[in-house]
Amino acid sequence: MTTVEQGRVTPVSKAISVKTNVERAFEVFTNGFDTWWPRAHHIGTSPMKRAVIEGKTGGRCYSEQIDGTDCPWGSVLVWEPPSRVVIAWQITPQWKYEPDLSKSSEVEITFTPEDGGTTRVQLEHRHFERHGEGAAAMKTGVDSPNGWGSLLELYARKAEENRGDS
Amino acid sequence: MDAMGDPTRRAILEQLLARPQAVGELAREFPISRPAISQHLRVLKNARLVVDRAQGTRRVYQVNPEGIEALRSYFDRFWTDALAAFKAAADKEER
Repeated sequence: MTTVEQGRVTPVSKAISVKTNVERAFEVFTNGFDTWWPRAHHIGTSPMKRAVIEGKTGGRCYSEQIDGTDCPWGSVLVWEPPSRVVIAWQITPQWKYEPDLSKSSEVEITFTPEDGGTTRVQLEHRHFERHGEGAAAMKTGVDSPNGWGSLLELYARKAEENRGDS
Repeated sequence: MDAMGDPTRRAILEQLLARPQAVGELAREFPISRPAISQHLRVLKNARLVVDRAQGTRRVYQVNPEGIEALRSYFDRFWTDALAAFKAAADKEER
């Protein structure tokens, strides 16, 4: 089964329910981003100090590193508190910053009130095909082989899932 | 066999990321036998990490261009973990 059809890659969709109202859920997700974002997930060369989403359309998404540098990784495309935020995922398959939005995927998060005061949070990460240059590079193998470390690990992990050899 | 724990297989994948190659070419790069190379390639092929095609009398291996699927499956796992962390933070805020 393939997830690539007609140049499109099936989005990743997730949904969870959180025990708080929409305003608070939106606030924790965005302004409180640093309180929950997995610490290991940044593209800086030194450890991450703080993860930031700037709360406005066009706002930057970046991490502050302990070496004093800022590492941008996205930008806010849609800012509709407390119900919706769309973020451009500006990271190449080589885990570098991608300034070109047309080569970036995007993540939409919606917040919907539920009965009982909880909030349904739905996330869709879509347009993986826009990262296609990385896949093309993989095909022809022109780009720096060193850049593929992380993706190789993904590959290796996938291989590991399939141990039906020997 | 464990792919992460198998440096040869990882190295073969790196070689193929550089460019498509036949078994014979790969065998020159590694101090192991051709059958051993073929065995590793079979594992990588079963995992859909590489694909092969006939080119004359040779069989040429390359990294599966649908590697973007690997990217997608990575994010599928990643967001599950990240949202669980978010939920923990959001649920806590209420208390």
